Amino acid sequence: MWNEIWNLAFFTAFFSASVRLAVPLAYAALGEMVSQKAGILNIGLEANMLSGAFMGFAVTYWTGSLLLGFLAGMTTGACFSLLHAFFSIYLRQNQNVIGTALNLFVLGLTSYLFQVIVNQASGAYPQVDILPTIPIPLLTNLPLVGDALFNKDIITYLLYILIVALVWFLNRTMWGLSLVSIGENPRAADTVGLPVFRIKYLAALFNGLMGGLGGAYLVLGQLGVFSENVTSGRGYIALSLVVFGRRKPVGICLAALFMGAANALQFRMQALGVDMPVQMFTGLPYVLTVIVLIISAVKRTDADPAALGKPYVRTMR
Amino acid sequence: MDVKRKAIFTLARVVAVLLLSTVLILLSGADPIRALQAFLSGIFGSAHGFTEVFVRATPLIFLGLGVAITFRTGFFNLGAEGQLYMGALASTAVVLLLPASWGSLRLPIALVSAFLAGGIWVLFPAWMKSRLGISETVNTIMFNYIAIMLVGICIRTFLQEPGSTLPQTAIIPEDCILPLLLYPTRFHAGTILSLVAAVLAWFFLCRTTTGFEMQMVGMNKRAALCTGLSVPKSLLLSAVIGGGLAGLAGFNEVFGVQHRLLEGVSGGNGYTAILVALLALNHPLRVVLMSVGLAALQVGAATMQRTLGIPNSIVSIIIGFIVLMILCGSLPEILEENHPILRKRKENIRHVE
Repeated sequence: MWNEIWNLAFFTAFFSASVRLAVPLAYAALGEMVSQKAGILNIGLEANMLSGAFMGFAVTYWTGSLLLGFLAGMTTGACFSLLHAFFSIYLRQNQNVIGTALNLFVLGLTSYLFQVIVNQASGAYPQVDILPTIPIPLLTNLPLVGDALFNKDIITYLLYILIVALVWFLNRTMWGLSLVSIGENPRAADTVGLPVFRIKYLAALFNGLMGGLGGAYLVLGQLGVFSENVTSGRGYIALSLVVFGRRKPVGICLAALFMGAANALQFRMQALGVDMPVQMFTGLPYVLTVIVLIISAVKRTDADPAALGKPYVRTMR
Repeated sequence: MDVKRKAIFTLARVVAVLLLSTVLILLSGADPIRALQAFLSGIFGSAHGFTEVFVRATPLIFLGLGVAITFRTGFFNLGAEGQLYMGALASTAVVLLLPASWGSLRLPIALVSAFLAGGIWVLFPAWMKSRLGISETVNTIMFNYIAIMLVGICIRTFLQEPGSTLPQTAIIPEDCILPLLLYPTRFHAGTILSLVAAVLAWFFLCRTTTGFEMQMVGMNKRAALCTGLSVPKSLLLSAVIGGGLAGLAGFNEVFGVQHRLLEGVSGGNGYTAILVALLALNHPLRVVLMSVGLAALQVGAATMQRTLGIPNSIVSIIIGFIVLMILCGSLPEILEENHPILRKRKENIRHVE
């Protein structure tokens, strides 16, 4: 058995699969990170992803255009995220309850609408062509990581750009600092004249766009088919990655990679018929997330934004 | 004035739900009248259907009670799902590992261990919140997944059914199964346990000093602290009781319905329970009402799916929609607050009155 594992081909395939599984999670988690920095904890990430996955699939299925599919998926994700933002910012409701309700609502809605589509398709199970891979010349030939990182599709490459952009945005721009200040102390931010509510809505918009993109990518970039609850808890996983990655873009992507690797390892072990409960690998990131939470709390670093999850009411102290 | 407005709001909500259901039924190509007939006959048409409502309501009652009690102290327990799994795991393990000579004595032991397992499972995030100030939101969700992982590992190793390759435990011994109340339906004694639990929870929360203290902590932590209450004690106690009740839901599913431990024993009920608690305004007796209502929706929708092919996912849509509408409840006050014109007009009306 170990001979099958300790060779280059195994690791090349393993890394490639890890990256593949990590990409949708990374998109959703990066969106959620921005949202949490602005003080909105959106449990409804699953709803954003699932609605994006469905709408992306449906539009591509009807029009045959992947671009329209991705745009539709992102728009739908944004709609649900903005709905969450409206309920939490304007109506000041409990963010967890809204998220849970949205998750259930979207799970029902997508299952229902998909059933309607399947009934109309009569016979053939609806499916779409997935995004083509675009190998980057030279870099693809790198041993081990070449195939994993540079033999992918356009959305994966866009993720690399997004990470760099987010690092720059959060650390080097006024907007990034404003975002963080609103999550930490909205009243202070308001006092110095920052448009608190507008920035919160923009953060939620970004969260929805990324969640929708992650969901749409899952279906249009990898699976090619939609099925009931196709995201199956990936939104919750992304939520853990935000904490596990300590709300830093690079940290989150490494966390997503780790999660992808854990999943990839589980599939490979199962395929090889390894006689041990492989659930350990997929469960491990959650245990580590809890440990990260404890460490951050004890060391008092990288703690939650101070106003995370709390509605900001201008007229009340 | 206020009562009138409340009535109008409620009426508008009912109309909106009915409208939405009609649209969804029409969209799936079915006749709404026949769908309603199927829905009602599914619930009231047979003893099986009617008891099935209670079979499905029972885990929701346990979970809803658990969530409601923890919500009352301001601990947002999103971990009912994991507590259910731990309760199911502990009770199954106890019954399968104890010697057969213990007979049906194993049933009460299983019940207690389910309660303890659920309670201990929530104790980690509760302790982390009260001691380290770690937000319970993400934390309890993590513990859900860890619990699911533990169950996954156990039912593939030492608890796996001997000679089977499926991830499931052996069927629990006959003398440990919760007795059926109405053969041949699935109606079992777990429902009675859940009702007893609801009454006890109500008595505890609304009629004892400890329960009152918990509510105080939930309403205003600082005020509670200033009157000399131990906030961490209240928080941990409510968490343990809530987690224990959620653990009993796992016990109920294994010993009343499935008769063995499988993956996916909860079916997402742990999350639905959060909405049940919200709809019930965290009141134990209303939790029962809401759980039965939701279960009736599920059973009726299942019949609509069987007979007319209407996807039963409309239940999730409708529950989510109802909750969102309830959350809209604060809209009028906030509108008035943000737009003084509206407020003035109302004051004028009051003058005329």
